[in-house]
Amino acid sequence: MKKQQTGQPMNRVDGRLKVTGGAKYFADHQPADMQYAALVCSTISCGAIASINTTKALRAPGVADIVSHLNAPPVPGYKKTNPGDKNGLQIFRDNRIYSNGQPVAIVVANTMERAVYAASLVEVQYNQETHYTNMEASMDKAFQNNRMKDYSRGEINAWQKAPVTHSAQYTIPLEVHNPMELAGIIAHWTSPDTLTLYAKTQGVKSVQETIQELFEIPEQNITVHSRFVGGAFGMALRVWPLEIATILAAKKIRKPVKLVITREQMFTLVGYRPNSSQTISMGATADGKLTGITHEAVAITSPYEDFTEGIVAMTKFMYDCPNVNTRYQLVPLNMSTPIWMRGPGEATGSFALESAIDELSYKLKIDPLQLRILNHADTDPERNLPFSSKYLKEAYQIGAEKIGWSSRNPAPRSMQENGMLAGYGMSSGTFGAYRGKATVSAILKADGTLTLQSAAADIGPGTATAMVQIAADVTGISPDKITFMLGESSFPYAPEQGGSATVSTVGSAVSDVCHTLLKELANLAISQVPAFKQTTPEQIIYEDGQLITADRQTKITHEALLQQQKLPEVKVTATSQGGEERKKYSMYSFSVHFAKVHVHPTTGVVRIQHIVSVADAGAIVNTKTARSQMIGGVVGGIGMALTEEAILDHRFGRFVNNNYADYHVPVNADTPPTDVYFVNKKDPYINPMGSKGLGEIALIGFAAAVSNAVFHATGIRVRDLPITPDKLLHITSTENTNT
Amino acid sequence: MPQENKPSSVPPKKDKQEARRDFLKQSSAVMALALAPPLVLKAAQHDEAIAAVFEKMPVNLEINGKKMQLSVEPRVTLLDLLREQLALTGTKKGCDHGQCGACTVHVNGQRINSCLTLAVMQEGKKITTIEGLSSGDQLHPVQEAFIRHDGFQCGYCTPGQIMSAVACLHEGHAGSPEQIREFMSGNICRCGAYDNIVNAIMDVKNGGQIA
Amino acid sequence: MNPFSYVRPNSLKAAIDAMARDHSARFIAGGTNLLDLMKNGVTLPEKLIDINQLPLREIRQDGNTLHIGALVLNSNLAAHELVKTQHPLLSEALLAGASQQLRNMATVGGNMMQRTRCSYFYDTSMPCNKRQPNSGCGAIGGINRMHAIFGASDNCIAVHPSDMCVALAALDATVLVAGPKGERRIPFTDFHRLPGNTPQLDNNLAKNELITAVEIPTHPFTKHICYLKVRDRASYAFALVSVAVAMDISDNVIRNIRIAMGGVAHKPWRLPDAEKALTGKAPTSDNFRLAANIAIQGAKTYAHNGFKKDLAFNSIQTALLKAATA
Repeated sequence: MKKQQTGQPMNRVDGRLKVTGGAKYFADHQPADMQYAALVCSTISCGAIASINTTKALRAPGVADIVSHLNAPPVPGYKKTNPGDKNGLQIFRDNRIYSNGQPVAIVVANTMERAVYAASLVEVQYNQETHYTNMEASMDKAFQNNRMKDYSRGEINAWQKAPVTHSAQYTIPLEVHNPMELAGIIAHWTSPDTLTLYAKTQGVKSVQETIQELFEIPEQNITVHSRFVGGAFGMALRVWPLEIATILAAKKIRKPVKLVITREQMFTLVGYRPNSSQTISMGATADGKLTGITHEAVAITSPYEDFTEGIVAMTKFMYDCPNVNTRYQLVPLNMSTPIWMRGPGEATGSFALESAIDELSYKLKIDPLQLRILNHADTDPERNLPFSSKYLKEAYQIGAEKIGWSSRNPAPRSMQENGMLAGYGMSSGTFGAYRGKATVSAILKADGTLTLQSAAADIGPGTATAMVQIAADVTGISPDKITFMLGESSFPYAPEQGGSATVSTVGSAVSDVCHTLLKELANLAISQVPAFKQTTPEQIIYEDGQLITADRQTKITHEALLQQQKLPEVKVTATSQGGEERKKYSMYSFSVHFAKVHVHPTTGVVRIQHIVSVADAGAIVNTKTARSQMIGGVVGGIGMALTEEAILDHRFGRFVNNNYADYHVPVNADTPPTDVYFVNKKDPYINPMGSKGLGEIALIGFAAAVSNAVFHATGIRVRDLPITPDKLLHITSTENTNT
Repeated sequence: MPQENKPSSVPPKKDKQEARRDFLKQSSAVMALALAPPLVLKAAQHDEAIAAVFEKMPVNLEINGKKMQLSVEPRVTLLDLLREQLALTGTKKGCDHGQCGACTVHVNGQRINSCLTLAVMQEGKKITTIEGLSSGDQLHPVQEAFIRHDGFQCGYCTPGQIMSAVACLHEGHAGSPEQIREFMSGNICRCGAYDNIVNAIMDVKNGGQIA
Repeated sequence: MNPFSYVRPNSLKAAIDAMARDHSARFIAGGTNLLDLMKNGVTLPEKLIDINQLPLREIRQDGNTLHIGALVLNSNLAAHELVKTQHPLLSEALLAGASQQLRNMATVGGNMMQRTRCSYFYDTSMPCNKRQPNSGCGAIGGINRMHAIFGASDNCIAVHPSDMCVALAALDATVLVAGPKGERRIPFTDFHRLPGNTPQLDNNLAKNELITAVEIPTHPFTKHICYLKVRDRASYAFALVSVAVAMDISDNVIRNIRIAMGGVAHKPWRLPDAEKALTGKAPTSDNFRLAANIAIQGAKTYAHNGFKKDLAFNSIQTALLKAATA
């Protein structure tokens, strides 16, 4: 019998490469005669470069060249825009400095040590101007971007008239993606108009497109390799100035150049989650029916780009509430541009919304889980459409049961365990379930192996593994005979890996191309194999790499079929994208997070004891890698809730904790046993697999679950992340506990 | 070529004086003065000092069971030697400051951060990297457990996690999930695979398969 | 890193001689802090003197003292039977610091010599009197959440980051150093300095002196001990505040007690007045509160580290109680 491969906990197809050190990330490549680069970065936050003295640096041993705005090769694409337009940082175009840490020169030498040392010898003089890096002090600069206009339904600020109201401000500091792999690139101009790149990217095709626009060389002359990516979480969704700087340096010296930036530079060169301030106000009837929500958010951006994300998105449709209005503004500061960081704006917005709901529940004296169920949106109140699938209530139920929600004493600061204040909190999250356009080619060889190719990416979720499972189900070919190749710009188009859409987008194309392949094989069999003459492609059974007649009397293997016809291979290509269904249904994934915390009564230290996260993400393709994605999102959420905060000294516009020792991403000891559950019901409309996305909802809402649990444990509401021990110290001043 | 040290090519033995003469032949003392940064200029009053600054030093290491006679600048870290000169790129750079554990290797059986030690300081030591952990096609039990438990996502911290996990087991610090969590805290996993990593190590511990 | 020369002397004398010839030189043992600083351009030695060949790796009991060679690794020290049984406080403090990988590299001497984690010290683009005398203190008017509340000066409010040293300060250790003029002994609590007008000096070691060993006298502190470290994440983080407590209790009376704190001063911060107040007293919550109150007298806080005074007050009591009930 045919064993279904999707839904199984299959081991990763590239696991062996990853555990043996055989997986090659961009910096692991060593083209012949490769040179090493190091950046010289601005130490001021606003102004202009007055002079760059490279005399000493150029005399240092092994230095090949130093490239800056003074001598960089021209970037033809820059001419399409005027300096000062909001087109991003056009590296080396002129002498303007917009933010601290902006690259001002790139040094190339024949060893890494020499490049790094020579970079330290470059002397840069600046004409400094007043800079602004403090959002609170720069609110007068707030403006609205056209992409993010005010939203309202019903009456504006209706919450004010409600019998029970809650209104509060929630702040989230600047957070940095900080994947383990340092950013950088290897660039090699093999001819004046031919460029090869080993990149760290979430989309090889978008790199190709950006480079084509900037350098105006034919697309096919740009080769981008990016098979393994050491985490990204959004920071590799675009080409950054550091990559252009390296490409320019490589152009100048006509040799391959490798740049790997430092951990410090990861804070200023490759985006971040912008710090934000949100005010949520909500009103409800005494029995807990929401009557109005107002959500106003402000977040920072750079001087040269308007970065927007879905901070207020979730508020518009999460709860069944007749009156909702939102506003989202940006404050431009002397900072580099942010970039979507896992769960992007929704992770920010959900902290405010899901904390506020929790706060309201205590005012109403209604269980916070119950309050959410009471206001459950059965249809999408923003778009007035049915959801394609929504099993949020099931998810609430599973989570509540597994964490033991019913054993919770609802009163704040009422529970103690082993001398610790104990608390339970929960929250929900949601993110759009998208499906883009992708093309996959399938090559069935006469030896029976199937190779699929698409320019997709894998930043960690296990793209190829899931694709192999999908292909195995459609074709009936055993997974060990299927290879899915990704991360090459020469492969057919796939979009960037982002927005939790890879399985939906690329998986659909895999499914389609496999169906196309089967049809091709069927037609071959029908036309060439006598026993199949009377059958149709739909009647044929596809199992174990064979075509079988409906009566199961005749079988032919793929190998035999191709060999009979003397075909070395059969190759088909299919492009796939969503259709009209997206206009008829609202498509979202949902998550529910439950956390149990202990708070030390005298030191304020929070330790999460147990986590239960439940996802309504449609059909799960691989339960093993899906669990990994969920626990990964949870760990990201622990960081957001308890430890992560990039701190600037506004006098200088410089970060003071731009390293892994002082910017605290969670370590193993911060994480408790985590239980993950999937509702695991197919979405009937979104795509052939019935799978919605998972990557974002794993994190979205999580910080609020922790904050809500901390309130339950201590009676202290922390609205300013992260919840570090100092913010809970005053428990003792109002306390009656013994240590 | 950045890969001046090929594991197979053992440089001919030279005494120090000879090496220095070589250096001075390649770039005359005058040239060295013209090219040198101020720091070196100061030292350049004595030719011995110039040589000492520029000169590569011999270092003998046993890496993954292979004895190697290498020649490196003193400022080259063990991590950069492995990655950039010996093409052993399984060991990763995540921070270069001993704050993440991605560069974890074993020196004489003990786990260390290879980014915070100089290659020349490891004279005579036995280094094991992720490439040297398995024997032939047979994976180390910890490697197998990491695959089974999906103890990674992007895989970048994985070589460091595995080297650390093997040492953690040997040290006797894998007595409980809590102890593992503490003693594996020197290895950051930004993808957040910690729970699976703990399960993988517990699995090996309980299976008694520590090689 | 800047280019430097490298020598590996085989004897103590050769090591000290090598230093005498070149004052920009630095001794290197584990390298976990020195290389970190060199990569950031904070320290730029022209020569490194690798002392790992020196015979300073012994741990032995000498009559009434435990002798610990300066090159003993932090991990080996924490796991040593004599330390675990006679000075468990030291073992606990060691294991609270860094990661196992770093403890496998870091030596006892190097741990004592490690420099502050102050961000302004580490960033050569910002002012710091410790790194660059008379350039100003970035932390005083800047971000100072991690900074000192005791013994700071208008020139520097940095803290010493070690955990091990807090325990050694509590345990009345002595530092043995060797220099061109021979050996000398420095009481541990006099080894590190307060910043005063010379914040560039972390300790009282002369430039060409080398730590050879640390000695700890035999104590009755084998049972009632606690090293409490409060930090922003569960492991692999520097202390906001740490408290080392060792006491000897009999017949419900504290006969002898040692208390020291980390994360609060430019040096491990011993609390003699609080010790005095508790000696001869019963180990009660009230007495502990009294002692904690004495301990935080004179604390001076800045814009972001005001919480440390409260955290110290609470943590001292918690650590005392934990030690008493251990």
